[in-house]
Amino acid sequence: MSVTDQGLLHRDKDTMTLNMGPQHPSTHGVFRVILEMDGEVVKTAEPEIGYLHTGIEKTSENKRYVHVIPMTDRLDYLNPPGNNLAFCLTTEKLLGVEIPDRANVLRVIMCELSRIASHLVWLGTHALDIGAMTVFLYCWREREMILDLNEEISGVRMMTSYIRIGGVAKDATRPWLDGIRDFIEYFPAKVDEYERLLTKNPIWLDRTEGVGAFTREEAINWSFSGPALRASGVNWDIRKAQPYSGYDNYDFDVPVLNNGDIFDRYRVRVEEMRQSRAIIKQALESLPEGPYKTPDNKVSLPPRETLHTSMEALIHHFKLVSEGISVPVGETYVPIEGARGEVGFYIVSDGTNVPARVKLRAPSFMAIPGMCKMMEGCYIADVVGIIGSIDIVMGEVDR
Amino acid sequence: MTSEEIIEKVKAGLADAIQDTDLPQGDAVIFVAPDSWHAVADFLKNDADLKFDYFSDVRGVDYLLEEREPRFESVYQLYSIDHQHSIRVRVGIDEDNPSVPTVSDLWKGALYPEQELFDMFGINVEGHPTMERLIMPKGWEGFPLRKDYPLTTETVTFSYNRDFKSDLVKSKPPTR
Amino acid sequence: MGLIDQAVDALETEVDNLKSNVKDAVEAMNYEYSGSLYDTVLTTKLGKVVGWAQKNALWPATFGLACCAIEMMAMANSRWDAARFGAEVFRASPRQADLMIVSGRVSQKMAPILKQIYDQMPEPKWVISMGACASCGGVFNNYSIVQGVDRVVPVDVYVPGCPPGPEALLYGVIKLQEKIMMEAGTDKAKKRVA
Repeated sequence: MSVTDQGLLHRDKDTMTLNMGPQHPSTHGVFRVILEMDGEVVKTAEPEIGYLHTGIEKTSENKRYVHVIPMTDRLDYLNPPGNNLAFCLTTEKLLGVEIPDRANVLRVIMCELSRIASHLVWLGTHALDIGAMTVFLYCWREREMILDLNEEISGVRMMTSYIRIGGVAKDATRPWLDGIRDFIEYFPAKVDEYERLLTKNPIWLDRTEGVGAFTREEAINWSFSGPALRASGVNWDIRKAQPYSGYDNYDFDVPVLNNGDIFDRYRVRVEEMRQSRAIIKQALESLPEGPYKTPDNKVSLPPRETLHTSMEALIHHFKLVSEGISVPVGETYVPIEGARGEVGFYIVSDGTNVPARVKLRAPSFMAIPGMCKMMEGCYIADVVGIIGSIDIVMGEVDR
Repeated sequence: MTSEEIIEKVKAGLADAIQDTDLPQGDAVIFVAPDSWHAVADFLKNDADLKFDYFSDVRGVDYLLEEREPRFESVYQLYSIDHQHSIRVRVGIDEDNPSVPTVSDLWKGALYPEQELFDMFGINVEGHPTMERLIMPKGWEGFPLRKDYPLTTETVTFSYNRDFKSDLVKSKPPTR
Repeated sequence: MGLIDQAVDALETEVDNLKSNVKDAVEAMNYEYSGSLYDTVLTTKLGKVVGWAQKNALWPATFGLACCAIEMMAMANSRWDAARFGAEVFRASPRQADLMIVSGRVSQKMAPILKQIYDQMPEPKWVISMGACASCGGVFNNYSIVQGVDRVVPVDVYVPGCPPGPEALLYGVIKLQEKIMMEAGTDKAKKRVA
């Protein structure tokens, strides 16, 4: 619809309508904001989403459970193992299957690596929007190391689909573990480098301190989650509040700051990168021996060697590959702490091998109205900083 | 509070508004009718022991293929930051004139998901400030996540999709 | 009898092909030799120079839609430097760009905007369809994804992958450069500028 049809072209208003359209380098995807401006100050910001609607939820109602896992990769495409884990945990809760310890540790390693990778993309693009291009190049350099590790273990750089129902797809290999060890030795110096470039930089402080502040009550009421919530003083991290996959075995801090502005969100995420690195180090040291997926052959494929000798293994393999797992009737929801906040899948099962309803609870989707409320009263230049600091990913907003 | 205690407290406070309760896999679930949903939400938010101040999500579900009454359901997930417990509320909605009262006056975070309920299922949320298309283009006809809306109208020779051979795919709804 | 009919059909199609080929060849000859020798040789050589300049300074418009956009950003970064091929300056405004890399899935809501951005680009312009979703709808065959961006804009190079690695996209850019060089100085390059 044209601007005139939408009623946006009024000559009797005293505000200017500026369309920050879906194609924009700083909107982090195809996000549209219609800004009513009085000079340089934003009076209201009206968001419009849906430009990346992929119909993944409806497609998932037609695919078997294992086929939904690569779909979930493409939702929050900066943190694919997080989506995989949320889906698998929910399905496993409905199935009632136990995950072996080694699989849990491998899942934690994968998710924390992906959290670091996602925060690196956030830092690079956020800094690029505000003007610091060097940080963009530096962050991608570290991200390439993590993507190489992904490629080593799963064959794919980004959409790994490594976490499967019942465990993980493949056992950890020697080069992968060595690569992670090298990465965690190399990484802390790099985080210090980013902080050296930004944290005490007067330009950065001018652009980010005091901008887009949200109080504790507002953050809870507008359903923020993840770093945006923790920067407003709310100590809520799903890894501590409702632990999953053995997170209560690791010793890590959850950074919580009080001002709720862009600068605090930046500091929370940088500290989270350090804490993720600490979690990976503890997980590597505690990696137990054992199976990497559940031995229950109704859920996960039997080992290939047994297919030569065991008839049951052959039958299970055939059923799992052709028909897929059958999940009992029920509905459930398991949230996890993704890089952006609380990610979870609400799955309704009707007893067949295809889910009846799959709904993603996307932290970016819930954050958008609050984010536009935050923009009111800010300058136009701050809008870019606010969008970057909330770290929205349109893949999960529009699904 | 554990899930059992939450359910006991809710049943004690709102005896006749709760249609049913359930404890699937350790979660606290209550079933509510649409008319009493706002009163229940008010109680859940403001009661000192429950204090569900964080609105996590609302999802719509279409039970057409299971052929149960009511056809739609909107499922709310609430957390309490201080007490660290959660509850799930299932509100069954009828097929003709589906509507449910809004809770966006209690939790601002409910604005977008409730608008999506309308966009994807056609469930009218009474009292919501903007009942318009959110994710689908403006002027789209049909509600995509209902079970009688086919996944695709492209002609393909073969597909693994569950609805490929059904009559749903044979009928082609208007798209633009 | 069937075999003879088949042979007659085959002969007829061969003759038709030859006729249309001859027509094309005669047209090309007319174009080549219709002007003076000075005119044709210089125009073709000049066309090659123009093509060389165009291919070494392709400025992409930022049209990152979804996951492929992250790999496009990785291509522009220091490991797979697109700057050494001239494609480093990602212009935000389509009016200053000549290459549109459609990276990501195009939904029904986004398709008119894709067309609008393509129309806003000045000629000559090229389109790379990056990834499976832009080339053919990818994993998503449903009501909301346009099954291939070539339903909306004309595409020059298709890069498969989900997402294609930055090296694959870089290969696509290099292939586009070869295409530009191949078309330079000929009819096809002239058709790009209306």
